[in-house]
Amino acid sequence: MKDIKIHVNDLSLYYGEKKALKEISMQIPANKVTALIGPSGCGKSTFLRCINRMNDLIPSVRITGEMLVEGIDIYDKNVDVVNIRKKIGMVFQKSNPFPKSIYENIAYGPKINGLKDKTQLDEIVEVSLRQAAIWDEVKDRLGDSALGLSGGQQQRLCIARTLAVSPDIILMDEPASALDPISTSKIEELVHQLKEQYTIIIVTHNMQQAARTSDHTAFFYMGELIEMGKTNTIFTKPLQKQTEDYITGRFG
Amino acid sequence: MATYFEIELDKLKSVIQKIGVLAEIQVGEAIKAVLSEPISEGKEVKKNEHKIDKLDIKIDEICQSIFALQQPVASDLRFIMSAMQISNEMERIGDLSMSIIKKTKSIKDKHDLITTFSIADVARQVELIMTKTNECFLTRDENTIGEIFVMNKSIKNKCDDAIHAIINEMKVNSKVVVSGTNLVMVLKHLERISEHSTNIAEYVYFMINAKIIKHEKFEDLNTEN
Repeated sequence: MKDIKIHVNDLSLYYGEKKALKEISMQIPANKVTALIGPSGCGKSTFLRCINRMNDLIPSVRITGEMLVEGIDIYDKNVDVVNIRKKIGMVFQKSNPFPKSIYENIAYGPKINGLKDKTQLDEIVEVSLRQAAIWDEVKDRLGDSALGLSGGQQQRLCIARTLAVSPDIILMDEPASALDPISTSKIEELVHQLKEQYTIIIVTHNMQQAARTSDHTAFFYMGELIEMGKTNTIFTKPLQKQTEDYITGRFG
Repeated sequence: MATYFEIELDKLKSVIQKIGVLAEIQVGEAIKAVLSEPISEGKEVKKNEHKIDKLDIKIDEICQSIFALQQPVASDLRFIMSAMQISNEMERIGDLSMSIIKKTKSIKDKHDLITTFSIADVARQVELIMTKTNECFLTRDENTIGEIFVMNKSIKNKCDDAIHAIINEMKVNSKVVVSGTNLVMVLKHLERISEHSTNIAEYVYFMINAKIIKHEKFEDLNTEN
């Protein structure tokens, strides 16, 4: 289907003997925000990292099943993992700017990809910073160190850095959990704006954040996908009792 | 151990039960007044009305605080949304009961008129629908909700018939115009109480099934399911 960006079929993940994801099947729609929720250790972040093969870096990990991004199984032997990660950007819980200038942080990715033209780089830097809603705050000090920015600004800078390499999909792992309410609302507003151009998957422990920002919500528990549906339905009339118990705080 | 949130929800539930019981008492007094039975002293009725008003405000305050502090979702959200509406309906039922008690005082030859136009039956049904309404909130029993819908329809038909008969009588007998007019108003109030009870049943249905059934017919719902 055209409007489905990612098809996940029977995906299981093992950390050694331990099965951390159990036969996950889901469809992630294009140009929408999908939130992954669930208690700690439920597998939501592990699942998120499967989408751009970040789990490849852990030696004991074994994955079965399919993760089809635009119809291509990203775990196929012939697939270049670098290309995957270009296409699928990621924003982490803790902002991690490079110890370089604001400008260099954004230009880094395009430069590595071979872009040298200064005018084009300038344009990418400006567009990315504008898209990440931080341009007005940093336009006069692009040469300053990124480490001098506030936590909220650093996180938006990291989003801008992700956008600079023109991904299709953006994965966000608790992107606002370390931020104050004002920075959080800026990130959430940004997520709303970005979904017009990107498919966004966001892991969050903050249930209200999932409700506010996402179009679809998937609830994970003990490595299983318990329920996925429209966010409005999940938060008003979930089908599964486990989902209801979790979102109403009656879990365990 | 119950969480702070669960304690708040229980508190809300118990205040709704209280307002429901008081509204039921007020309806009972109104029905007695219609049927010319001795009713509690006016003081008691007024005191109850005052209590209902206070509980209505208290329910709004509890709901406001839960919305602001707990961000309820799913069944909790539906319960709190319904609680606010149910409280409002109960308060209206209390007001209508008071109006009935006042109106019946100015009906002359009430006993004869009540008998002539078979109003006792409809009054008893209104009393019963109110009891069923409180019952359905407590038990969340869908069969009781169904019964309330059927009773409401029957009450409405009986009120219409009685009003029609009273108007016809007033056309030919000018002596009953004043009492007849008051009686018509009493019947309209009884009908409204039945409507408010039915609205409460609709909110209970929403609490259980997450489906808003306002302005729908219960028969249609059953065929849909």
